[in-house]
Amino acid sequence: MLTSNHWNTLRSLMNRIIPQDDFPDAWEAGVGEYLARQFEQDLKPQVETYELGLEALEEESQATAGKDFVALDAAKQDEILSRIEAGQILSSWQVNPTEFFHMVIEHVMEGYYSDSGNGGNRSSISWKMIGFEGGE
Amino acid sequence: MNRYDVIIVGAGAGGGVAAGVLAEAGKRVLLLERGKQLQFENDPHDHLRHQRFSRHGHNAGPDIEDHPRVAVDAQGEVRVVRPHEAGYQNNAAVVGGGTRVYGAQAWRFLPQDFRMASTYGILTGSSLADWPISYEDLEPYYERVEWEIGVAGDGAASARHWHRNKGFPLPPLPVNKQGQALRAGASKLGWETLPIPALINTAPYNTRPACIQCQYCVGFTCPVDAKNGTHNTLIARALATGRCDLITHAMVFRIDTEISGHVTGVSYYDRAGNLQSAEADVVICAGGAIETARLLLNSTSPQHSHGLGNQHDQVGRNLQGHYYPAAIGLMPEPVYDGIGPGISTATIQFNHGNKDVIGGAMLANEFIELPVIFLSRQLPPDLPRWGIANKQFMRENYTRVMRVTGPVQEIPSQEARVTIDSSVRDRWGIPVARLSGTTHAETVRTAAFMFERAKEWLQASGAIRVWGEPPGLYLSGGQHQAGTCRMGNDPQTSVVDKWGRVHGHDNLFVADGSVHVTNGGFNPVLTILALAFRTAEHIEEIW
Repeated sequence: MLTSNHWNTLRSLMNRIIPQDDFPDAWEAGVGEYLARQFEQDLKPQVETYELGLEALEEESQATAGKDFVALDAAKQDEILSRIEAGQILSSWQVNPTEFFHMVIEHVMEGYYSDSGNGGNRSSISWKMIGFEGGE
Repeated sequence: MNRYDVIIVGAGAGGGVAAGVLAEAGKRVLLLERGKQLQFENDPHDHLRHQRFSRHGHNAGPDIEDHPRVAVDAQGEVRVVRPHEAGYQNNAAVVGGGTRVYGAQAWRFLPQDFRMASTYGILTGSSLADWPISYEDLEPYYERVEWEIGVAGDGAASARHWHRNKGFPLPPLPVNKQGQALRAGASKLGWETLPIPALINTAPYNTRPACIQCQYCVGFTCPVDAKNGTHNTLIARALATGRCDLITHAMVFRIDTEISGHVTGVSYYDRAGNLQSAEADVVICAGGAIETARLLLNSTSPQHSHGLGNQHDQVGRNLQGHYYPAAIGLMPEPVYDGIGPGISTATIQFNHGNKDVIGGAMLANEFIELPVIFLSRQLPPDLPRWGIANKQFMRENYTRVMRVTGPVQEIPSQEARVTIDSSVRDRWGIPVARLSGTTHAETVRTAAFMFERAKEWLQASGAIRVWGEPPGLYLSGGQHQAGTCRMGNDPQTSVVDKWGRVHGHDNLFVADGSVHVTNGGFNPVLTILALAFRTAEHIEEIW
């Protein structure tokens, strides 16, 4: 089970994957709810990877910037994530950093852009944003 | 013991047609389907779990946990896979089969598609062969499908490429914005286009209403029953006779035979898991190219130690589907207009007659892309996968991007095959299908050629940027699976005769894509349906 610390990190992470502009960021659109639901279903086998990856992200943040990931500004967060995506890490990871990040990207996109019946994409907000008309 | 005139295994495209024809001919028919009845009310628009995009499951079966297969990839890596996972080569398993949730493109094969070896010669390492029947043999049955199941199309445009005796019963799908752009592009290139024929009611037909042009056609059940499959035509007609028993959740594991090879019936597990048997004068296999091969191979007896119809080790070979090379173009203006199903305009300029490649493909625009599908395959390769740039691209360009693709006629290989893996069992303890090999390397060359044509079409249609990658070498099958019980006159190199009867078994038939010798450069369902009409009519005549 993800702890509240894990969730804080995950919230910051998903909001860099889909940041806010004049449409909501990932968390605001309900991606947290999507993932919480999926951690009980299809993503149950990935929960441990999430825990290890999120902990490693915090360690990476400490090693790079001397701060919690959640306490960094967006530019610094993006810089760390870009390095993780490229596999350029300073701390020791128990999961493959690039694969972990790409997995989270995939799941966050699913929550943001799929139907709200899955728990995310509140009020079909992402569909309104892009112009897809298959709303409820 | 239950006794019938005919037992049909699989209530999909081929099995559904056979049930309708034979029940109306007065036969007592048992139609066995391993899946369920899928109703629109129980098919929510779940973007992550449907037949087109099964990221976390799917809507049309088979059950994810009960039906494993073994997949061997091109590098030789062996994996046990579930129905929604890569490499499984899934097709829907519900009443109606793929026709319950398909995109319903309704293409006839071209005359050359039945004569691939004569047209292109025999290729080293390939099992390319002619069909034992011609386009003209099948033409009356294509017409029957078009009128009895219901196809929308442009008869005059179609008649420029196919000899046909009759038009379509329904007017063509609307030309949407993508279609308009592609027509203009084709015109610049001097290419001919035509509206995509579809098994969709563009007007009320067969006592059912017209399409409401929603955004959820392919992969889902139709909200108004305007998509025509076997579930709402031939199976409904079979049931209306009172002579057809349809049993769902019936997992057939063996075709029962006598020493002579004469078939006596089938054995299956019912919904409760109880062993059942039924007898019949005729058995028709229609489980799709993978499950039909599996059933024949699993139906061993002392006299048929390698399975039925398999004296010459042909059952399960030549598995093929379609390669889909796709080019993606960014248009200067929106080309999304929300008019479903979205498919509109095609060219068959490059199905044959291409320099230095074998065969080709129909090319067309795509169905309306659900946003998660768009994300998974429509983004430019240099776009960041995350962050504000990614979001901005989605915002600005979801409506401006279109995809051109089409089914490349595969060059078959004997090594692309279905065998049995006894070390892996399904929920009922039945040995599962093992899928191995790849298509012939020549298919990759044809696909690369078609990829260039797709790019060319998008560029001529005004795309400001075009991207995509031609496919590499792999095994395909999936929803267009075919070829594993190929039709032929020579029992040494084929499994069924020109009527679909299994060599060496006087009363055992196959009526699904398994019998295709080659799979055309088109969606194969109209051919599966037409062949099933022809096989069923033949059975009706001789029994």
